[in-house]
Amino acid sequence: MDMKRSYRDDLRLFPGGGTMAAYAVLAAILLALPLVAGNYMLSQVTFVFINGTVAVGLMLLIGYTGQISLGHAAFFSVGAYVGAVLQIRGVPTLGALVAAGAVTGIVGVIVGLPALRMRGIYLAMATLAFAFIVEEVIVRWTSVTRGNRGLNIPDPVILGHKLSTGTDIYYLAFGVFVIVLLAVINILRGRTGRALAAILDSDIAAECMGINIALFKTIAFAVSAAATGLAGAVYGHKLGYISPEQFSIQLSVEFLMMVIIGGLGSLHGAVFGAIFVVVLPQAILLAKPLLPTRIAEQPILDTAAFGIIVILFVMFEPRGLNGYWVRMKAWFSLYPFYRRGMFKRGRIAAADLVKH
Amino acid sequence: MAALFEARGLAIHFGGIKAVDGISFTVDAGTIFTIIGPNGAGKTTIFNLVSRIYRPTAGTILLDGADITAIPAHHIARHGIARTFQNIELFDNRSVLQNIMVGQHVHIRTNVFAETLRLPSVIAAEVKMRRKVEEIIDFLRLAPYRDARVGGLPYGVRKMVELGRALACEPKLLLLDEPSSGLNVEETDDIGVLIGDIRDVLGITVLMVEHDMRLVSAVSDRVLAVNFGRQLALGTPAEVQRDQAVIAAYLGSG
Ligand SMILES: Nc1ncnc2c1ncn2[C@@H]1O[C@H](COP(=O)(O)OP(=O)(O)OP(=O)(O)O)[C@@H](O)[C@H]1O
Ligand SMILES: [Mg+2]
Repeated sequence: MDMKRSYRDDLRLFPGGGTMAAYAVLAAILLALPLVAGNYMLSQVTFVFINGTVAVGLMLLIGYTGQISLGHAAFFSVGAYVGAVLQIRGVPTLGALVAAGAVTGIVGVIVGLPALRMRGIYLAMATLAFAFIVEEVIVRWTSVTRGNRGLNIPDPVILGHKLSTGTDIYYLAFGVFVIVLLAVINILRGRTGRALAAILDSDIAAECMGINIALFKTIAFAVSAAATGLAGAVYGHKLGYISPEQFSIQLSVEFLMMVIIGGLGSLHGAVFGAIFVVVLPQAILLAKPLLPTRIAEQPILDTAAFGIIVILFVMFEPRGLNGYWVRMKAWFSLYPFYRRGMFKRGRIAAADLVKH
Repeated sequence: MAALFEARGLAIHFGGIKAVDGISFTVDAGTIFTIIGPNGAGKTTIFNLVSRIYRPTAGTILLDGADITAIPAHHIARHGIARTFQNIELFDNRSVLQNIMVGQHVHIRTNVFAETLRLPSVIAAEVKMRRKVEEIIDFLRLAPYRDARVGGLPYGVRKMVELGRALACEPKLLLLDEPSSGLNVEETDDIGVLIGDIRDVLGITVLMVEHDMRLVSAVSDRVLAVNFGRQLALGTPAEVQRDQAVIAAYLGSG
């Protein structure tokens, strides 16, 4: 059975007409959402876009090159502060956003270079240390950041249009998310993406194919950081105010959970993970009245729930939410011929991260 | 005939073990040169020295007259040397197509910024790359497996994919580490014909390590026999097989 297709076919963004239609419908719904959704709902979806931008960038690093990072809250804060400081000093918003991405990308290179020599738990520690350093710098560099007092960020202005409502920021976050998503898709399906995948599977073979491992691992760090920085700048605009304690280690852990729960090695998974971390606290809030008071009043309820869910995923569904998604699609398309265990093989399991 | 490749006094010592201990040979362009020797003789180590996975303790490696002894490992492919591995090193989670596409890495000159924007130059490069890869898929008859995940394929097919990936580098010199290992008699005959085609049709010079003497005699232009990291004999397949030191080494190692 030879199904040689034209190369042009493979080069398209969407594999088939059906997929393209589905995405078009989804995009239309998201564009129209502000017409029907209330402020609260809109705000939650805005956070999904912001988290989704981070998740897509972090997925490139963790899910596609096997490098772990506990420092992404720091990249997020660098982007937020660069964006905010420039905005305050009168730089046009678009310029400030681009600068936030670019500066964070450069910081990513600086973090990525020493990271070349480390893997697994050591890399996690090193990126964590980096996050502490960034937090310290932000707290101490009061002349620019105003330290713990935080920064108030003026409304962004794009092409002469002042973005002052929740709806405006919703579209800003949506736009940035789509741009970052497309950028990462393009990187993954090109030469760089193939090189990253090769390094993940066999660095010796990758090197013998002429792939400069240090260069591509650094590129992965830079792109991942830049995406996260951009998301940080949007986050600043969403809240209108930023201060150091918003970018704690807990945020890094939450970012990490997005990609693990979503499913390593899949951009769908990154988006699912982003939705999940926004929805989970809401679900817990709703469930609280149903729980025994002693449990419901625990201040660490959210954190504990997150932790338990991650452990369950790592143990029972290493491919994360995306694993369910893939099987659900298969079930619908193959019904009634679907068999259990058809899609057993995953890409990389979360537990493998410690090895990488 | 011009020498394409030359090793001069190549040596590497791991602590006390002299895995390769002063090996010299030249490979002429358009020929098949085979290294034989008992297990642990140092054959794979010679390959690892040529591909710069190891840094030689002594000696020089020349390709087309240029000294490539000190260049980084990831520049070797760019200079025109590609290889396969004794224990198959594929990208197991990727498809056959994706594995072979990686072989074209050094022939695509796009950068990450252009890729991000998917500029027309990137698309043109991808189409050109894809055309080359499809040629190789046809040459090796891998079309039925094009989109299959490599990790789940039979051993013989995996060896072909690895060969395809190396050919996708469009090398001047192709290193094959035991191309027949793990294959049955029929498959071994096929690979013999294929290696001949690689030399005669594709015009690629082949340097291989091989145990199957039938295959060695059938395709090799020159043979180097090694043991304990040193040369035992060098010549045509027939000459080397007659050599007393070679016979003794093989009898000695059982
Ligand atoms: N990285 C290393 N560290 C220490 N010793 C090594 C290393 N690599 C190879 N050796 C030793 O060098 C010697 C030659 O090994 P090599 O793999 O080159 O043998 P070979 O000729 O390819 O054998 P085979 O036919 O079994 O593949 C062996 O004694 C091996 O143990
Ligand atoms: Mg060997």
